[in-house]
Amino acid sequence: MKATDEEIAAETVDATAWRRMHPVTPAIKGWKVLVAVLAVSWYQLGENLREVVSLRDGHVWLFIIGGLAVVALIGFGYSALAWRATRFAVTDDAVHLQTGVLFRQQRQARLDRLQAVDVVQPLLARLVGLSELKLEVAGGSGSAVSLAFLKEADAEALRTELLALAAGLRRPAGTEPAVAAAPVDPYAKGVDAPALDDATSVTTPFVDAPERPVYEVPMPRLLVATLRSGAMVALVVVGIAAVVISVISRDVGAAFVLVPALLASGGFIWTRVNQGASFRAAISPDGIRLRHGLTESRAQTVPPGRVQAIRLSQSPWWRGPDWWRVEINVAGYGHGEDQARETVLHPVATLDEAMAAVWLVLPDLGVEDPQATLDAALHGRDQDGGFTGAPRSARWVDPIGWRRHGVLVTHRALLARSGRVFRQLDIVPHERTQSLGLAQGPLQRRLGLASFVVHSTPGPVSPSVAHLDQKVAAALLDEQSARARSARAAAAPERWMTTEPPA
Amino acid sequence: MSEPFDPADVTWSRVSPRLAAARITTTCIVFALPIAILVVIAVLTGELWVWVSAAVLALFVGWLVLLTRRQVRAIGYAERADDLLVRKGLMFRQLVVVPYGRMQYVDVTAGPLARKFGIASVQLHTASPATTATIDGLPPHEAARLRERLASRGEARLAGL
Repeated sequence: MKATDEEIAAETVDATAWRRMHPVTPAIKGWKVLVAVLAVSWYQLGENLREVVSLRDGHVWLFIIGGLAVVALIGFGYSALAWRATRFAVTDDAVHLQTGVLFRQQRQARLDRLQAVDVVQPLLARLVGLSELKLEVAGGSGSAVSLAFLKEADAEALRTELLALAAGLRRPAGTEPAVAAAPVDPYAKGVDAPALDDATSVTTPFVDAPERPVYEVPMPRLLVATLRSGAMVALVVVGIAAVVISVISRDVGAAFVLVPALLASGGFIWTRVNQGASFRAAISPDGIRLRHGLTESRAQTVPPGRVQAIRLSQSPWWRGPDWWRVEINVAGYGHGEDQARETVLHPVATLDEAMAAVWLVLPDLGVEDPQATLDAALHGRDQDGGFTGAPRSARWVDPIGWRRHGVLVTHRALLARSGRVFRQLDIVPHERTQSLGLAQGPLQRRLGLASFVVHSTPGPVSPSVAHLDQKVAAALLDEQSARARSARAAAAPERWMTTEPPA
Repeated sequence: MSEPFDPADVTWSRVSPRLAAARITTTCIVFALPIAILVVIAVLTGELWVWVSAAVLALFVGWLVLLTRRQVRAIGYAERADDLLVRKGLMFRQLVVVPYGRMQYVDVTAGPLARKFGIASVQLHTASPATTATIDGLPPHEAARLRERLASRGEARLAGL
């Protein structure tokens, strides 16, 4: 959707509808250039530390500071130009975003294809009260529309507006947004209207959907859970090995092998704690709301029916307290560096919370007793809870975990269970099935086994059931495609507040 | 074909045997240079083991040729009322079912060699990168027909994600 001519946009969007980002934006974005240059030069200096020390006297420092000033100037200058070139507009059907200094780009995100809306606040933006609004529209890598930066209140008002429009509600006809007298309350519940503080503020005739908290993660549990992880175990093992080596070789230098391992696991633990801190989940008519983050705070809204698959996983170190990590596939999430931040539904859930997390996505699991079914799926093996397990011959291909491989098809979803040491359960709603596959290796063919695969959108969940009886797998493939078809026909509309019959 | 990969009510369409010719040509091009170098070295040095390794390599190519012919015969696709089936593989068998309503777009590609042999590939893309529904070795008119057919069926059954 590249356009070198701005007039292309003018046809579809009213000229007065265009808005700019907050004018402080270049000051926040410009730092990235400086930080990047500093990081690169620090890395280079680190290589030649001795030479730098010898250069300490004289005018060298002046040059360095001057150079940094020039870099900063370029960074901020470019950011200012980019800010001038950036504008966005919201119509009833789409969000339009124009960017680019040299290469003009216009992007149009259709609201009925909206997969998720995030309000992200990096540390620096948070300090000055700004937020980035991110719209995911499932178009592959780099397809997200990022509106950075807006005033906090504006970002939230805009999110409310986008969600309401995406849900299929309409702006009241003929009203100027600025003089919208009575806010339309689509949810028929008394909720405060968004604050309209000054003239530049985004005004919206919609009010935020009411939400109900479902669970939150206490900090002590997050810390303990993060310490009881594979990274920590690896660190302890490396530590013991280093001590043994240095005692045997009588050389303290061997202990230095610890340093990279320490940094790596320290980084891992910090990331997990930072991302999972003050994790809260709520449910609203607009879908699932997740808020989390210590330095960078992130408020995600995933509308109904946008979660493509759920995975519950448990490492052996979490088995004692029976904690589970819950992750989801959402189209649009799961590209690039943010994947680990965006796709977590619960960083460390107790059994009850794990069930609540599943309920958030699938209020109706399609069985009479969802608790018992989930319990069997998480802890059981063989035929527990009505699962179809792998036949006995599967022990030749998976001697440890063969009794955990299993599949259960309910009215609403497919549950795939696996893993004896690292337990895992994948749940895919029938209407979210993309395509299905069957695979069989030479050993499996001899044993009469086949693996069944459900293809889902990119993300942490890749559901599959290994080593089923080949007749069972073939029947499953056949029935599942029929089930997915009828579930899609009955699925809720893309615009979730409308009652139009599904297309 | 064993039963799980051969559902009862499905008639499979085969791909063109020219695909085998194209793949064998590629194999021969790749292996021609190493074999030629080995033969030259063998002639120059007269060492027996160099002759033996050249012969082993040639035998390996021969085995690949036979295998490729069988692999191409194992590729099949079938258009059902609501989905497309694609099957491939001899040793590692694979069967993919792609509902028409799930297709995001269809690619038809033909490289220079494929064009020489008069074949093209049709690839179906869903929202999942794991969907590996590629049909190699279709005659161009069949590829175009399939593309049109898939596109129209996809439109009729289009669903969101």
